[in-house]
Amino acid sequence: MFDDPDALTSSDRRHYADCADCQARYAGMAEDARAVATLLAAPGLKVDAASAFERVQAAPAAKPRFGFTLPILRPASRTMFAGLAAAALLVVVVATAFANVLPLFQPKTVEAVPVQITDIQALSALGDYGTITWSTQPQPQVVLSAADAKSIAGFNAPVASYVPAGVSSTVTYAAMPKAVAVFTFDASKAAAAAAATGKPLPALPKGMDGAKLTVTAGPAILEVYGNLKQSANSSSQDINLPQLVIAESSAPVVTSTQVTAKQLENYVLSIPGISKELSAAIKAIGDPSSTLIIPIPIQYATSTSVTVQGVHGVAVGDNTGLGSAVIWIKGNVFVVAGPLKQSEVVKVADNLKS
Amino acid sequence: MSVNLEVTAEASKHLVKSREEAFEALFKSEYARVAGIANRVLADPHEAEDVAQEVFINFHRLHSASAQFAPAWLHRAAAHTALNRLRGRRRRERREQAQAPEEASRTVDPQRMLEVNEDRKTVRAALARLAPKPAAVLVLRASGLSYAEVAEALGVGTGQIGTLLRRAEAALRKEVTRGTSI
Repeated sequence: MFDDPDALTSSDRRHYADCADCQARYAGMAEDARAVATLLAAPGLKVDAASAFERVQAAPAAKPRFGFTLPILRPASRTMFAGLAAAALLVVVVATAFANVLPLFQPKTVEAVPVQITDIQALSALGDYGTITWSTQPQPQVVLSAADAKSIAGFNAPVASYVPAGVSSTVTYAAMPKAVAVFTFDASKAAAAAAATGKPLPALPKGMDGAKLTVTAGPAILEVYGNLKQSANSSSQDINLPQLVIAESSAPVVTSTQVTAKQLENYVLSIPGISKELSAAIKAIGDPSSTLIIPIPIQYATSTSVTVQGVHGVAVGDNTGLGSAVIWIKGNVFVVAGPLKQSEVVKVADNLKS
Repeated sequence: MSVNLEVTAEASKHLVKSREEAFEALFKSEYARVAGIANRVLADPHEAEDVAQEVFINFHRLHSASAQFAPAWLHRAAAHTALNRLRGRRRRERREQAQAPEEASRTVDPQRMLEVNEDRKTVRAALARLAPKPAAVLVLRASGLSYAEVAEALGVGTGQIGTLLRRAEAALRKEVTRGTSI
């Protein structure tokens, strides 16, 4: 009312004219607003954007830290890029789920944990502690129809019976058969990595040298809504962003030799750089052997617990419409994401038929 | 094969170029506003530009400049980065000078406060003591953002901004009074 007097309806205006309480409250608020406007006055600022831009360009940090920008945000992305993003997400989830590994790890539910950039950097160091080999390479491919996707993945492509208004009816399908990676811990590699970084790394527990973790991911189906084949020269680049993404994948399975879950959890959480918050969140999870951990970068996203199709799920994002996602496990792992309100994404998820 | 490689290299060059161009366009259209938000918090044009450049560098490292949410991200990051600096500055100052308390029981006179540099510090100290969300609402709005822009930057509904703003204004006045009557 103070900021925009015209926003007042005529009935409110009539009420205000006769209500001493409202008038007194308004007077108080208006005084606060005027006082704060004065208090927050700042010295004049003259900026020269062109020379500031040159300074920023000259800064060495102006390059992408990991050599790429977040894939979902790149307008020129194509379907394969979305497929790769899903695969990358799965790898991050599995990498973070190392702390959960049991001789047999098969998640039945999902749980969010807060991670910071430093956690991700610390966990990425895990790659230096051994060797990854693919016994079955991930081979995502774009297919023409839901039936083709089924023939690759071995299960029916999920069908969205509710799609929010404004989302394109053009659907692109991608599918990936099962992929299997084997990670072999190597004490000498870990020692070399420690020497190279100059940071003391925790010693591998007894018996861990030579231990193998076998990670099985997929098969998976990805459905991308939106006209992705729009010309790249189109003046409105945003049209190339997926409007809705639905993915279904078999839950990842991890088997291990020689190491117990407890050993691995203790070891991973002792890596320098892992924050206390992440460590506490992982330890607080009731049954880690059956919980898929969803890492939430706390500086950029928030997560809430939701019920989807009668089971517990994790929703990431909010109701601003900038973007949100919901992840749940009901037999398989399901993800629904898009530049939509959280409530819309949850509604799509609830009405998904698999 | 070599033809294909050349085509790919050309395409990736084009992609990098358009990415850089998009970032430059975003920088030039939003820089003044981002620096303005930081200046509103810090009351120090030089440091505000420092913050603005840091915010853009972080953005460029993480996101594509043509993302729809780019301005909202920048506004929010400018407010939070500047508020963090303000809190850091406060802590440093407190460490450096466990100084004598100011004169007792002054009443708040907004006009007078701005006349003296010391009083500007008092206002910023009060701002630093506010919770992050109310502090951000105040500075974003005071920097000229519309309700919708403030809502987008902070990830809340536009309908909530009026209430958040009123509460934040009352809280800041209270903090300023508290700060000057120790």
